[in-house]
Amino acid sequence: MSLAARHLEANGIPTVIMGCAKDIVEYCGVPRFLFSDFPLGNPAGRPNDPESQAATLELALRVLEGAPGPRTTVQSPLRWSADPAWKLDFSNIARLAPEEIARRRAEFDRQKEIARTIRTAPRATR
Amino acid sequence: MSEREEEFGFAPEDDAPIPYLQRIRDYYQALGYGAPYRWAHYAEVPFAPLRTPLARSRIGLVTTAAPYQRDKGDQGPGAPYNAAAKFYTVYSGASAAEHDLRIAHVGYDRAHTTADDGNTWFPLPALRRLAAAGRIGEVAPRFHGAPTNRSHRATLERDCPELLARVREDKADAVILVAV
Repeated sequence: MSLAARHLEANGIPTVIMGCAKDIVEYCGVPRFLFSDFPLGNPAGRPNDPESQAATLELALRVLEGAPGPRTTVQSPLRWSADPAWKLDFSNIARLAPEEIARRRAEFDRQKEIARTIRTAPRATR
Repeated sequence: MSEREEEFGFAPEDDAPIPYLQRIRDYYQALGYGAPYRWAHYAEVPFAPLRTPLARSRIGLVTTAAPYQRDKGDQGPGAPYNAAAKFYTVYSGASAAEHDLRIAHVGYDRAHTTADDGNTWFPLPALRRLAAAGRIGEVAPRFHGAPTNRSHRATLERDCPELLARVREDKADAVILVAV
């Protein structure tokens, strides 16, 4: 997504990214970024909370309007939870037992194979 | 609570954005995959100033979410990662219509979010409301789906030019990209 924003921008079209993976987006380097410190999957506000979704989109528009230059990141003031413990769970190898690591490896290989099959399938079947 | 948290109001040490680059690198190495994934990384960043006030602008929307496909297995809410639901070419949909887009094909946080409300990753209805309210001029006639391709070459050489071509056809003045 960051690459798409860069490509549009390089061709004269202003962009803003809404996302939850701060370091990945900033490492790529993008023009404007509204960062929500939420679990991956919620770039446009809290689920079932229209007010937070409206506030998040409005903030993205303000970043689009007001960014003084590239690499402008604004962090949404919204909090996912008063307890930050959720941040320790995602893909955290320190929290996984060896059997779970083995299970995940097998599942990852299986999904990769499925993806490969679709990717190489004739275009007409997509 | 530590002394500094209590005395100075510091946040807990872990209460910072998740360091995904390190976390994901460590994760796949521990799973036994050798060479770490090389993330896209640039020193220079392009910038195109907004030339038209938003109230007179046509705003485009790009998403990494995927249209629900009945024959492609469990796509949630709460579905495990489902590579069968992935897509590998840019797709477009009419902005005036309703769409059922899902995120089972990407690695979102399955422990802490339920993925039961599409508005958290696809703000098209919210964007239409902003057009109706006059906050933006109008929504571009189509939104576009960007493949979440692990091949940088495919993204850079095929998907990005395709997205640009479609956004230009739509005559969008600016674009919001929502990354799941």
